[in-house]
Formats: sequence, structure tokens, C-alpha cells
Amino acid sequence: MRRYSKLYWYFVIQRFKILMEYRLNFFIGSISTILFQAASIVALWAVLRQVPSIQGWTLEQILLIYGLLTLSKGINHIFADNLWVIGRDYIRPGQFDRFLVRPINPLFHLLADRICHDAIGDFIVGFSLVGYAMVKLQLPITLASIGFIILMVISGGIIFIALNLITAATAFWIMDSIPVTNLVFSTNEFAQYPLTFYHRSVGILLTWLLPYGFASYYPASYLLGHSIGWMAWLAPLVALVCITIAYRFWVFGLKHYGSTGS
Amino acid sequence: MNKLAYRLRTYRSVVGMNIKEMLAYNLWFWSQLGAHLFLTIVYVSFWKALYSERETIAGLTMQQTLTYIILARMIAPLVQWGYTQEFGYWIREGTISSELLRPVDFQERIFVGHLTRTFIALAQQLLVTGSFAVLVFDIRLPTDPLIWLSFLISLLLGCSILFCFDWIFGCVAFYSTEVWGLQVVRGSILMLFSGVLLPLTMLPSSLQTVAQWMPFAQSVSIPVSLLSGITPLDQLGSIWLQQLAWLAAMLMLSRLMFQFSVRKITVQGG
Repeated sequence: MRRYSKLYWYFVIQRFKILMEYRLNFFIGSISTILFQAASIVALWAVLRQVPSIQGWTLEQILLIYGLLTLSKGINHIFADNLWVIGRDYIRPGQFDRFLVRPINPLFHLLADRICHDAIGDFIVGFSLVGYAMVKLQLPITLASIGFIILMVISGGIIFIALNLITAATAFWIMDSIPVTNLVFSTNEFAQYPLTFYHRSVGILLTWLLPYGFASYYPASYLLGHSIGWMAWLAPLVALVCITIAYRFWVFGLKHYGSTGS
Repeated sequence: MNKLAYRLRTYRSVVGMNIKEMLAYNLWFWSQLGAHLFLTIVYVSFWKALYSERETIAGLTMQQTLTYIILARMIAPLVQWGYTQEFGYWIREGTISSELLRPVDFQERIFVGHLTRTFIALAQQLLVTGSFAVLVFDIRLPTDPLIWLSFLISLLLGCSILFCFDWIFGCVAFYSTEVWGLQVVRGSILMLFSGVLLPLTMLPSSLQTVAQWMPFAQSVSIPVSLLSGITPLDQLGSIWLQQLAWLAAMLMLSRLMFQFSVRKITVQGG
């Protein structure tokens, strides 16, 4: 464990050395996510300005959900963005083979190879939205509520990483996994609004099959004092189950990996 | 015998690779379609929830807004990224020099290629996502061919205006060689002010004014409003006049800008 954290630190330093070669790109990359999200948020505000609430949900309440989701997504973005390109950048050009001959876990190597600084924008947007919503809604900002949010955001992040890991592992069979990852990942957009907006089947899907709901809707509902019972505390367990399944699937895929031989 | 087995094994790999490649390509198509469909369900549900307690928002009924949103989202991928990236690429890689040497007008040639790609993509979008919209989301597209024709003309004008804007924008690459950031900024501003995210009449009036003075609405909001029945056909004259004026101004600016900045060219290792 100590060896791996030390190694990770070395990887991070190397990565930043590369990034600092192109300072302007680094800066633009960091703010690009902010600008992109700003467009959606302004649109949401423009609509909700004309109506007091949607099915009982106010703008601030929706922003809380949106903010929590953005933070979870940010964790996935910063630590696990390389899962997206495993097929295109590693397996197809034969780069993946170099992970297999080194004395460290190939998955660790893949994740550590490129931490993604673009996620800084996600965190700025996420923190601002959650903070703004908490203050506006006069929700108690205590150690307990902050602890709850941190726990839920980390669980949500792990759920994101787990689903991306499962879809990325398909690259061992089909080479390029981006389409599969993209398809599953895109369903997270459902989780940026209250699940009650959708047909019941979407709610079930986002709770039990692709559990993005635990990254946003359930913790937000708990913070807002809606009675959702034990569902409020399920996220860490769901995250644990997801990441276990995902890692097993990854190992299974790794056993079936045959190099492209390039 | 051994040789035969070897050959069979080789061919098996060849067949396997081909299937994988085909599958990968098809997967792209289906996954993008699937993702688009998911997103459309998200928007439709959002707007339906919004309309659940009221008849109209900013004067638009639910049917009008839904038709508008679904159509605008279909047009969005055609105009989202433009070709500033390509511009930067030509300059960075030095291929711009051979592009400029060809005996046809550079801008014209790129324009024709760009429009061809845009309209082929539009046909694909309309066929696939369009039929989904009609079948799954119960969207009523107009049956009057006149509306379709005016939509297409207005879209053509809008895309040309945007092309000229991107041309001017791309010329910045002659000075900076860094265009990716510009691209992101353009994409984000376009999202909001082109009317992809919501009908522009729903924006507060100050933002509507900003939208009016940007070229982005010409390529999404204006044609889509025609097709979804938000803009009645009797306004067609003034709309086309306005679009033509935009086009003339942008075209002139883009030619000037290119002539001016092409002198700055620094081919890096081309």
C-alpha cells in the first residue's frame, strides 16, 4: 500500500511536469469544464426564473442534485479518465503490453498513467453549486452534514469509476471500448434532475442497474429532509458492490487479453 | 498438414479482425444513437415536468417547446464544433501551404466540403433520430413541403453564416497556433446563444439581445423555429432578408480577415 501511494505520487509529479510545459493549455483545460457547465446552468436558471418550481422542486434544490452529481463525476474524471481510452491509446497500439511486464498492478498503472486536470473545473462548479444551494435553502452546514456529503460524493465517484471500469474491460474483446463506455456513461444525465421527473422504469434503472442515482438524487433528498429512509445510507454499500464486480470483471477480461501484436 | 493448419489459423485471425472492426464501427453508430436517445428522454421528461402545472411558458405550449427542443438537439451536433480545429491543424502541420497552392479558391473549396458533410449528417439525423422522435416521443413534424423547403433554405443560410464566422475565428490560429481553447469557448457560448438548450424567447431580455448580436442563432434557433411552427411562414421574407444581410457582412469580413492574416503565416516544420 505504501509502495503504491509513493508510486502514485511519482506518476502525479511526472504528469504535472508534462502539463506545465504547456501552461496555457493547462489553464484553458481547467476552465473549459466550467464554461461548458455554465451554459447549462444559465439555461436552467432562465427557465426556472419563469416558474416557481417543477413538481415541487425549486431551482436551488435541483442545483443541489446537479452539484452533487458534478462532484462525483469530478472524482471519476480526475482519477479514472484513462479508462475511456484504454482501447484507443493502449490496447490498439500495443502500449498495454508494457503494463503487463512491470511488477505493478496493470489497472493501477493504467489509472496512474494520466490523472486528468480538467476535473478541477468540475470541482469548482460542484462545490459552488452545493455551497450555494445549502446556503440558499438554509440547510444546516455542520460537521455531520459535511461528512455525509463527503461520504456520498466519494461513494458516487466510486460508482462512476466502477461502471466505467466494467465498460472499459470490454476493450479486451472488442479493442475500442469508448462506444460502450459512452453509452452507459451517458445515462448519468438522468441523475442530474430529480428521478421523480421520469417514468418509473428510469428511476429503477438508475437505482438498481446503473446506480448513478446514489451519486445525486438520494443524498440530495436526504439533505432536503425528504423521507427516503435507509436509501439515504445505501450509497457506500452500492459503491462497494459495484467496484467489486467491476474489478472481478476486469481481471476476467485481462485473462482473455491477447495482444494486438503491433 | 501443419502448413494448412497454420494458414487456417491465420485466416481465422483475419476474419476475426474484420468482424471486430465492423463491430467496432457499428458499435459507434449504435452507441451514439443510444446516447442521443437517452438524452432526448432526459430533455423530454424535464420539459414535461415543467409543463405539468402550467399551459404555456413564455407563450409556448408544451407541444411547440418539445418539437423545438428535439429538433434543435438534432441540429446541434452539425454546428457544435465547427472546423477551427482543422484550421489549427493545417497551420500546425504545415499542410496549409499545399492547401493554398491548389488552383481553386481555398475558402470556396472548404465551404463546399463543409456544407456537404453538414447536409449528409442532417439527412442521417433526420432519418434515424427523426423517426425516433415521431414514433417514440410523439412529435408532430410539419407535412407542408413549403415549411420544409423554407427550413432547409434558412438552415443553409444559417450554416453559411456560421461558416464565415468560424473562418474569421479560425484565422486567429495564424497568430496563436493554439485553437483548442478557443474551440471550447466557442462551443460553450454556442450552446446557450444558438438556442440548442432552450427556445431563445425563454431567455431574459438582456440575454436575448446578446443572442441577437451573435451569429449562432442563425444556424439553430431561426431554422428550427420555422420547422417547429413557432415562427409563422409569413415572416419568411424578413427572416431571409436578415440572414442574407448577416451572410453578406460575415462573408466580406471573413475574406478580409483571411487575406490579412495569411501574410502572418509561419509554417512550423511543414
